[in-house]
Amino acid sequence: MAERVFSVLGLFETPDALLAAVPRLKAKALGRLEAYTPYPVHGLEEAMGLRRSPLGGMVMVMGVLGTLTALLFQYWMNAVDYPLVTGGKDPSSWQAFVPIMFEVTVLFATFTAGLGMLLLLNKLPAFWHPFLDSEASKVATRDRFALAVEAEAGLLDAAAVSAALKAAGAASVETIPEPASARLVSINALLGLAAAGAAACVLAGAFMYWGIKLFPTLPPMSHMLAQPRLDAQMPSRFFRDSRGMRTPAEGAVARGGLPYPFDKDDQARGLANPLPRTEEVLRLGKKVFSNNCLICHGPLADGNPILTAAYGGKPANLQSKKFLDYPEGEIYHTIMRGKNAMPRLGDGFTEDERWAVIHYLRALQRAQHAKDSDL
Amino acid sequence: MISLMTVLGGLAAAGTFFAIGPERFWANWLVWSLMLLSVGLGALFLVALEHLCDARWSVPLRRTAERVSGLLVPACAALATALFSLKVLYPWARPEAAHIPAIAGKAAWLNIPFFSVRVLACVALWLLSWRVLAGSSAEQDLSCDAALSVRMRRFAPFFMAVMGLTTLVVSFDWVSSLEPEWYSDVMGVYLFAGSFLAGLAAVALAVCHLKGRGRLAELRFDHVYSLGGWLFAFTVFWSYIAFAQYMLMWYADLPEEVFWYAHRGHGAWRWVSLALAVTHFVIPFFALVPRDAKGDLDRLRWVAVLVLGAHFLDLYWLVFPVLGERPLFSWPELGFAAFFIGAALLWVRRSMKQGADMPVGDPFLEEGLAFKL
Ligand code: HEC
Repeated sequence: MAERVFSVLGLFETPDALLAAVPRLKAKALGRLEAYTPYPVHGLEEAMGLRRSPLGGMVMVMGVLGTLTALLFQYWMNAVDYPLVTGGKDPSSWQAFVPIMFEVTVLFATFTAGLGMLLLLNKLPAFWHPFLDSEASKVATRDRFALAVEAEAGLLDAAAVSAALKAAGAASVETIPEPASARLVSINALLGLAAAGAAACVLAGAFMYWGIKLFPTLPPMSHMLAQPRLDAQMPSRFFRDSRGMRTPAEGAVARGGLPYPFDKDDQARGLANPLPRTEEVLRLGKKVFSNNCLICHGPLADGNPILTAAYGGKPANLQSKKFLDYPEGEIYHTIMRGKNAMPRLGDGFTEDERWAVIHYLRALQRAQHAKDSDL
Repeated sequence: MISLMTVLGGLAAAGTFFAIGPERFWANWLVWSLMLLSVGLGALFLVALEHLCDARWSVPLRRTAERVSGLLVPACAALATALFSLKVLYPWARPEAAHIPAIAGKAAWLNIPFFSVRVLACVALWLLSWRVLAGSSAEQDLSCDAALSVRMRRFAPFFMAVMGLTTLVVSFDWVSSLEPEWYSDVMGVYLFAGSFLAGLAAVALAVCHLKGRGRLAELRFDHVYSLGGWLFAFTVFWSYIAFAQYMLMWYADLPEEVFWYAHRGHGAWRWVSLALAVTHFVIPFFALVPRDAKGDLDRLRWVAVLVLGAHFLDLYWLVFPVLGERPLFSWPELGFAAFFIGAALLWVRRSMKQGADMPVGDPFLEEGLAFKL
């Protein structure tokens, strides 16, 4: 069985000779024409009657899509989903969208142009082509111009084609056989690719390693967190003992509070609740009670703790007779100083919170011991 | 026909001075002086660019650009005449300016003697450049002396500096200082972009016209396409610069900057600004974006006319807001347009009748004619 022919190819000395040969072979209509030249030859496209590249249209469509994508994306984020006023501007200001729209248009358009040309129109990635095995491929990348007539549907009259090529001025003619099987990927190409990938990894790794080692890593940006102020537990280079936290000076008083002077509860008996008994105050008191007292004294302040028996202490039943007309100053004292198993909690509250929880405690007692007149 | 239009327009323009007043007269005069100047300078820039880059494709077109650049001569005369407008149009030239700190602080630059010196220096540089670039080329037609090509190529880099510095000076002096409190660093680039675009449009229009008359027959699609490509590219460049200037001022929102745009963004001026964006960018961009459009003479002709119109609108938009809240446009503007367009056409037509249509003495003409995309 005769070997099937992929194409017959003629080599020409000059681009002009190639250009002159194209119409003559085209007229013979022996097969599909293909040219291999070391650089783009002006006028070859028209001579071969290649179709107009659709790339321009593709780029246009994708460019417009890019514009719209960026517009909708930004509009959705900035004006609809998470409107943030920056610089006193309306979050939907179109002016701020334009640079990104421009960039994304260019991005979409260039990617379409590059990838569309390489992948769609140039049929890449192709690691191998029958032409690459020919003798002609060695010179057609240097200073010769090759014109090939390729078989259409496997049929090619090789003798007629070589005669026609010779007649058209080809210096030499070569026949390229049809490859035995479609060698899409050659071993060499794969090995080459793997080697290139490995080399790239090594290079990138070395770059990262030495890059980070030799050049000081600068913080990419400093947030508001980075401030000369000293935070808790931070060392200080200013103080000789290099402690950042200092004990307050003698007699210093925290903002918004005066030191509590009493040690005995009867000293505090005379303190009067400065807060009015308004809904707002009771609401605050309820919050403080639920968050701080309820766990030990129970929701009704009747000494039934939510804590398990493992707690061990016996919280006072504040609904008992003793506490119904207990002076408010003494409750205040308990909050500030604690009592036996009751911890001193007052330092965690503001003055208002201490007195508000007392109001709330009184309201709880009243609720449990309501009189007929309360109804 | 054109002569009649010029004469009638001239009468209307002169009438403006007496019937309406010097302000309107000088505003129109300034706009049209800048129009002639930008077209002439833009065309000369194209010529110099060819020498600078040693370009071949544009050699057959160069004579047309050189002829259009001849508009620099009347432009220089008009701009020198516009020195009389200083006291009328420019706040810094009036005695009150000394009491406004923002203007008084700029007095070292903005004063009439120094201003006039700068104008005359620019005029001298432009005329010199035109003489060297266009004059040598005409000389070469007769002598075919390659040394002249060398001279033009040597001069081209110098002209680039001239172009850059003088457009900067023109933008600061003639345009920005109409509102002397205002400033914009990019105004020179903005005016350069508009100027080169207008020059390209005028050259394209002239090429279309000549080809329509059967002249420049050897000019092929490839040449026209490249010219159209330039026009397209600089449409985008102008828009980029124009928007960049606008967006930065809009974002920063500094009172001393943004008032300039606030004025142009309100009332009827808003519509002028919008028309500027549409005619200077949107329409030319989409008209020229398809591949064939850039080499299509019919398409190029109307796009060139549109771009020239848009450039006029640009200059009008730069200058006229100082006359008041509302854009003024009626018979004085039409009269000025008729006069200056007529005069420019007559001027260019005169040069079209002299000498060859292509630089026949240029050693690279043949190569230029063989140019393929
Ligand atoms: C850790 C559990 C605990 C928490 C929390 C707690 N208590 Fe007590 N409280 C006790 C115990 C235990 C006693 C009984 C102390 C004693 O008499 O030995 C007590 C006693 C009291 C007494 C009576 C003191 C006296 O003079 O006999 C008052 C009043 C009181 N608590 C109020 C409060 C208030 C108000 C809060 C919330 C701010 C609170 N307690 C939170 C455990 C707690």
